[in-house]
Amino acid sequence: MKVKSSPKNETVSGMEVSVRPNPVEIEEKARRALMARHRFSLKLQISLGFFLVFLLAVGIAAVMVHSMYQVEHKLEFLEIINDYVIEIQQARRFEKNYFLYGTNLDDALDNVYQARDIIERNPDELKQILGKDNHRMVVSNIADYQRLLEQLEDAERRQENILEHRRTREKIEKELREKGHQMVSLSQGLMNRLRVSVSETLLRSRMIHIYFLALLLIMVVFNAYILVSRILRSINRFTKYAQRIASGDFTPIMPRRRFRDEFTDLALAINKMIQELEQREEGLIQLHKVRAVGTLTAGIAHELNNPLNNIMLSAHMMLEDYNQMADDDKKDILNDIVSETNRSRNIISNLLDFARQSSSQVEPLNLASLIRDTIKLSANQIKLAGIRVEFQAADNLPQIHGDVQQLRQVFLNLIFNAIDASKKGDKIQVFVIPADEPDYVAVKVVDFGTGIPEHILNSIFDPFFTTKGKGKGTGLGLSVSQGIITKHGGRIKVSSRDGEGSTFTVTLPVTTIPADLKSM
Amino acid sequence: MTDQLEVLLLDDEPIVGKRLKPALAKIGCNVEVFENPRAALDRISEKEFDIVVTDIRMDEIDGIQVLEHVTQKSPRTKVIMITGYAMMSLAREAMGKGAFDFIAKPFQPDDLRKVIASAAKALGSSIDFTAAGIDNA
Repeated sequence: MKVKSSPKNETVSGMEVSVRPNPVEIEEKARRALMARHRFSLKLQISLGFFLVFLLAVGIAAVMVHSMYQVEHKLEFLEIINDYVIEIQQARRFEKNYFLYGTNLDDALDNVYQARDIIERNPDELKQILGKDNHRMVVSNIADYQRLLEQLEDAERRQENILEHRRTREKIEKELREKGHQMVSLSQGLMNRLRVSVSETLLRSRMIHIYFLALLLIMVVFNAYILVSRILRSINRFTKYAQRIASGDFTPIMPRRRFRDEFTDLALAINKMIQELEQREEGLIQLHKVRAVGTLTAGIAHELNNPLNNIMLSAHMMLEDYNQMADDDKKDILNDIVSETNRSRNIISNLLDFARQSSSQVEPLNLASLIRDTIKLSANQIKLAGIRVEFQAADNLPQIHGDVQQLRQVFLNLIFNAIDASKKGDKIQVFVIPADEPDYVAVKVVDFGTGIPEHILNSIFDPFFTTKGKGKGTGLGLSVSQGIITKHGGRIKVSSRDGEGSTFTVTLPVTTIPADLKSM
Repeated sequence: MTDQLEVLLLDDEPIVGKRLKPALAKIGCNVEVFENPRAALDRISEKEFDIVVTDIRMDEIDGIQVLEHVTQKSPRTKVIMITGYAMMSLAREAMGKGAFDFIAKPFQPDDLRKVIASAAKALGSSIDFTAAGIDNA
């Protein structure tokens, strides 16, 4: 049954009363905000990351193959130049033979042709290794050498007379030896340069291998790092959400990044769950309230017996003695009946107030008077248990913003618990004071009863945890209370010493600026 | 026997004593009414009553303590407990501790008269209901 809020609530100190927004609407708003971003899925990041690493690996493989090829090519060229050096050396050997014995001139020329052929076939590589000037020198040198040898051969073929022949030979010989010597030293220089170049190429190839493998490793690690850190950050975020939700804070998850991904799907599912949880908690709060009403009713039923008994006895005696009774006595009896009926009405009116109102309203309220009303409401239980309640409230406490019904339920529950923990003749102290933190008000409910053993102190706010006997407690009281207080932006704490009693402290934020809960 | 029964009635509700005193007087009881259990205990220490009627739930001292005091002081005195709802366990405890009977609130004057009559019988005296002018006995 939905009961309209009483006019009293709507005009409290002229401030507006807001009805809590519907969890379904809040969830829908959060869903839209979450979905409004561009999707950049984990799957895409993983595929993209691995594709880039793969591309890099392919590039590196290509570079390596190329550098291997270069080394191979250099080595092949080294072979060729080696052949060239051998040809030249052979040519000089035959040249020597010619001047000593007059033989092998043809062979020398053959070798020179071969050598020249080698030089001419690989001009680019040679230029690269020797430089242009040196290359020209080598080419012209071998050409001169060849020319001189050919002149010798020409002279030989012409069959000049001995003297003339000797003169020609001597003339050529000197130049030929010079050119030959120069040719050998140039070829050795070439060989040396080539060796240096080969070892340089090898070194470069080795460096390329090392650097590119290192680059690949760095890229793989970097890729893994950004992927893992993205996942871990989200997981940490969701761990915090889970803790927050477990403590009863049912605000939905809102966007925290500029894109959405698989974790957004998780957030949507969690928001849906939060909405369900919140609706279910509303049910739990109602259920718990029904239980509180039940407890209160038991006390009231007992207390109601006293005025009822008085009315019964008075009415019966008036019936018995009606005729003999003086008018004054009759009046006295009727007055008693009226006053006892009033007393009955007062006993049940508090309970009716508490049981009737069920709508969720957030309004500015005075915590001290709320606690005073709550103590009054539980007066029958307190009386039945033979317990005294001491109530103290600091003066001029600021107002808080909250739902009277739900907060009363919390404090009623704390008082019931304190009564259950106490013995007849014990006292319970209730204080309303400024909290240690600024802008918070604290309510302390102190009992001097059995206390809570340390090993269960951490579990007492868990749902369905109870130390009371079967059928006596549902284990929902503190869990529901914690949910209500968290929703009010407050906290509920307990300190206890086994055998010496417990203190429950509820801290609630004061209203500095009227919270604009409507826009939530 | 026409001897008056000495009755002590203890209930912290004043109207109970105010109405029951004349009601019991009609059946030949000499009733002393107390609202304060401590004063009642003092009186019990002074005087031996035939019957003590006491409420179970009161501040400071409850009916069980009164019962214990009476049985210790005067074993022949019959103690009748007045109980309320949710006090059945206390009533059973009282019976275990030697209460004569209990009666639950709200009750009619005759309910108590009947219990007192049977207590009187157990004490060896009798109560004449007709003498009290009650027609529905």
